[in-house]
Amino acid sequence: MDITIGRDNKEPITLTTPVMPAAGTFGYGDAFPNLFEIEKLGAIVTRPVGWRPFSPANGTRLISRPGGAVMHTGLPNPGLVKVIRDNSALWQMVEIPVILHLIATDTDDVARACERISQAPYIRAVELGLRDDVSWQEAAELVRAAERGLERPLLVRLPFPANEDIARAAVDNGADALVAFAPPRGTDRNPLSGKIVPGRVYGPLLKPMVMHAVGRLSRRFPAVQIIASGGIHSVDDARDYILHAGAAAVQLDAAIWVQPSLLNLVARDLAGLILTRPKDALPDEWFPGIGETDAKRMGIPFNTNRPTKGDGKDKR
Amino acid sequence: MKETTGLIEKISLPNATHQHLELSVDPSLQSLKAGQFVMARASEQWEPYLRVPWVPVDLRAGRLIIERPVEETYRVGQSVSLIGECGQQVRFRKGVRNVLFIAYNTAPTPLLMPIRLLLRNKVSTTLVLLGKATDYGTTHLPPEVEVIHGDMDLNWPNQVMTVGWADQVFVCVDQDDEQYRFAQIYERMGERRNEIPKNYLFGLFQSGMACGFGVCDACAVRVSGEVQLACMHGCAFDLTLVKLGIAPGEG
Repeated sequence: MDITIGRDNKEPITLTTPVMPAAGTFGYGDAFPNLFEIEKLGAIVTRPVGWRPFSPANGTRLISRPGGAVMHTGLPNPGLVKVIRDNSALWQMVEIPVILHLIATDTDDVARACERISQAPYIRAVELGLRDDVSWQEAAELVRAAERGLERPLLVRLPFPANEDIARAAVDNGADALVAFAPPRGTDRNPLSGKIVPGRVYGPLLKPMVMHAVGRLSRRFPAVQIIASGGIHSVDDARDYILHAGAAAVQLDAAIWVQPSLLNLVARDLAGLILTRPKDALPDEWFPGIGETDAKRMGIPFNTNRPTKGDGKDKR
Repeated sequence: MKETTGLIEKISLPNATHQHLELSVDPSLQSLKAGQFVMARASEQWEPYLRVPWVPVDLRAGRLIIERPVEETYRVGQSVSLIGECGQQVRFRKGVRNVLFIAYNTAPTPLLMPIRLLLRNKVSTTLVLLGKATDYGTTHLPPEVEVIHGDMDLNWPNQVMTVGWADQVFVCVDQDDEQYRFAQIYERMGERRNEIPKNYLFGLFQSGMACGFGVCDACAVRVSGEVQLACMHGCAFDLTLVKLGIAPGEG
């Protein structure tokens, strides 16, 4: 199920799997190879990068709640120039497209950043992250500034709740795809200190809200690809976005931290690699990362002489 | 670093506030060093939502001994998903003879494995419990550990002497506001010594870990002008190099 993003004059990218990690959940693509099958993903989306460096947020940054979390990091990064310098070797080696998430601070910085990105051919696309309080006029200017200096596909990540004016501003000014949406903003009390902490909200309950908004967006903008992001915590969640909400691809966020194997599982599923379970498939192929104990508990056979990764004995 | 499954083999109660889980683990985790930890998920449900850092207090015959509050419920035979190993080994100075450990308003759990390592190497250790940490029962600790109880205001008996004798100091603090608590400790140590040299006072950063493998940035700490992640480069950082009380960022 190949997905192509971008127009002919903009070096379009092809995703062999409609699955990728959301910005800020996967580092710069340097996450541990034992945890992820990077080659099975459609693309890598980097952690958010600004033209200028960002410092980590002060004080408490994480509140874990039943069924979700609120997190505020400050998007720490050393600035685009250093990020490219530090990661260029890695990105040149990666076989799947690298999409750089650019924090849209102001039009000058966005234009400068896109000019620099144009000199780095291994960055195959840009995902422009709009501020939560951005107006549609500002969004139009930011997207225009990015599009003008970029020969690559431009994805625009929209803030949540959905605002169709902002989406239209992005589409009218050159966005090749819309990423719907950034994790919504929330505020919660830190149970340890009693202090109020602002941050972004993650959790399975976001899925119904985001899916509703993605459905509206895909009906309103049928010519633009929508990449759904928010609340995916199972293979079925991801399938719902594509089969029922009109999304072309999905991004997984916080679930990756809790259950890294889920990213592999969703990628295999949506790539069509898992339709039926092969008769002789080993449990750790079907459930990546499964151990003998879990296999026994689930009542499925476990082969202790299973082939190790990379020995070429692929059952499929 | 990989995702594996551990099995709770035995549960014991070392004191009134904590339980010890004896966990048989994948061979890759059997050589965990003092200061390293695993990210655990004890339930397949999304409650609690995030993984929790489990810091071993000992390693016995290839099994990790994990200390958890008694309020949490576990059972023998329960399997736990683990991601590890996380973090770096605690670095002691060469030829260190006296090491001071301070737990401020929190259980000394992350300090116990380094203490055992030093005792095995005949290094004298002092454990100071401050504030709520004094609730922690210490009868299960080896008798060679000198335990001192202090108060909420960072006072304890013979403070000048214990600080003066220490070749290195390791501190863990309440996670309500870790940076503020470390700043308090740093200030107090500065009052008790002419200067705080490098490689002397270390804070063990525990709060705000969502992933444990360096991708979420929740545990970012500013060290020597650079952003470092407690789950990858810590969790022990030299407090003379850490920027405490930094300006709020965006995000």
